[in-house]
Amino acid sequence: MISVLRAEWTKVRTVRVHWILVIVAMAFPTVVAALVGTFNPNPQWVYSRDLVDIVSGVGVVSLLLLASLWVINLTSEYSHGTIRVTYAAVPARWKVLLAKATVGTLVTLVVMSVTFWLAWFVGSTILNGRGASIRLGDQGVDAGGVFVSLLALAVIVSWFALGLGAIIRNSPASVVVVLLWPLLIENLVALALTLAGVESASKWMPYQSAIQAVSSADPSPDVLGRPEAQLYFGAVALGLLLIGGLLDRRRDA
Amino acid sequence: MIDVEGLTKRFGRHTAVDSLSFSVAEGRVTGFLGPNGSGKSTTMRCMVGLDHVDAGEVRFDGQHYGSLRRPLESVGLLLDASYVHPARSGRNHLRWLAASNGIGKQRVEEVLALVGLTDVASKRLKNYSLGMKQRLGLAAALLGDPATVILDEPANGLDPEGIRWIRDMLRFLASEGRAVLVSSHQLSEMSLMAQELVVIGRGRLIDQCSVHDFVRRNTTTRVRVRSPQVGEILRQMRTLGATGEYVGDSAVSDTALIAGVSMVTVGETAAKVGAVLHELSEVSESLEDAFLAVTADDQEYRSGNAS
Repeated sequence: MISVLRAEWTKVRTVRVHWILVIVAMAFPTVVAALVGTFNPNPQWVYSRDLVDIVSGVGVVSLLLLASLWVINLTSEYSHGTIRVTYAAVPARWKVLLAKATVGTLVTLVVMSVTFWLAWFVGSTILNGRGASIRLGDQGVDAGGVFVSLLALAVIVSWFALGLGAIIRNSPASVVVVLLWPLLIENLVALALTLAGVESASKWMPYQSAIQAVSSADPSPDVLGRPEAQLYFGAVALGLLLIGGLLDRRRDA
Repeated sequence: MIDVEGLTKRFGRHTAVDSLSFSVAEGRVTGFLGPNGSGKSTTMRCMVGLDHVDAGEVRFDGQHYGSLRRPLESVGLLLDASYVHPARSGRNHLRWLAASNGIGKQRVEEVLALVGLTDVASKRLKNYSLGMKQRLGLAAALLGDPATVILDEPANGLDPEGIRWIRDMLRFLASEGRAVLVSSHQLSEMSLMAQELVVIGRGRLIDQCSVHDFVRRNTTTRVRVRSPQVGEILRQMRTLGATGEYVGDSAVSDTALIAGVSMVTVGETAAKVGAVLHELSEVSESLEDAFLAVTADDQEYRSGNAS
């Protein structure tokens, strides 16, 4: 299994577009935090909670970029035919999917950790230099909790993306579904359920619930709590990954 | 040694490979022939578990492909040279493949040198020509120094020097005791490269034998005779049960092709009737003639007349 992990890591690090996605994912929250810090007209009224919300909110864009990377990393194997080379070298197909998920998880953890704290550091440094007073330990601010839940969400989204990629096997279609799922698909489903008379339908939309649970704001009764939302979305993502793995096992490469 | 036993693969109602059995011995290049759509590539994919089989089994030195712990060290495979990521370099393509089977980076450099791609190994694969990709594919097949090599159309896109190189390479690999199975549509090349043939049509085995036997069994060797008395020779041959025809216009031609008797018989007959011989030679048909004769009923796609 170690050799398969090495192979998958080599695949990830030897394609330029993967690096571009990682760099953009890392830079985006930092740039936004720097812009907010530099151009906010009333920096003294920006508090720790605001900066945490900004960084975690923009961090969702970063994790979507990383999700696109994991989709492309898998589906490009089908579009270029390298999946046949891969499965000829590693006939146990589950090992390949597991190795991709493991590499995706580890890279996501590292990239999102750096992204979150870099954006926090840049934003707080600029704002404090302009008269704000932002500290990690400010009362009522759960920066650590938000950070951990953002990491968990990023990892779950990477599994979700990989699962969809294994099912759909097509790069553009998979990326579109991964990006539109929380923005469009779950909204439409929630709307349809609401019109059908289901109460609090949006609460049971796994992706949106998990995104909302990252926020440092107190959860309203209409959304799931942080651990519940992430466990729920995690189960959905693992289910998709499992379905993708089973389909992949049954299909001809 | 490859043993294919009763391999069957269906796509819906279409049976692509139908109870196919053959073997590939060590120390020989075995050519895998069949018309377009006859199931060669499907068979190769089934052999290494890329396509699921409906029946039958394939063993490599007694083992199923799926049970090989490090497949690249047992079976080297080139199915399609275009199965590469265009944004990756040739060296990195081989590196991830080597890593998947615990093969070191040093071996990557060795096979790059072997196929003559060291100088371009850092270039991205989208800049490779088809011939370069074929060489890279062969390098990938040889990464694990395998006992068995399976190649699907390895000479596609190669220039004459490249074709000659791959022919020599495959014969060299076989001379080292490896089992080499290679498919190709270039029959003249196959006749130079292979010692053994597996011929299939519509997914079924048509023949497995040596190239020499295949050509001999499926073509007619004729005797070419040129003489001022060619008409008299032809008459004598027909009385012996042979068949013959003039080459060109029978009114003026002094040359005939005779089938059904040996060159010796033609020579002796000519002597008996006092004919002067200007030429007496055997005309053998090629592997291409034999192949076309054998697969005439198994061609899935036929061309119209060019004339």
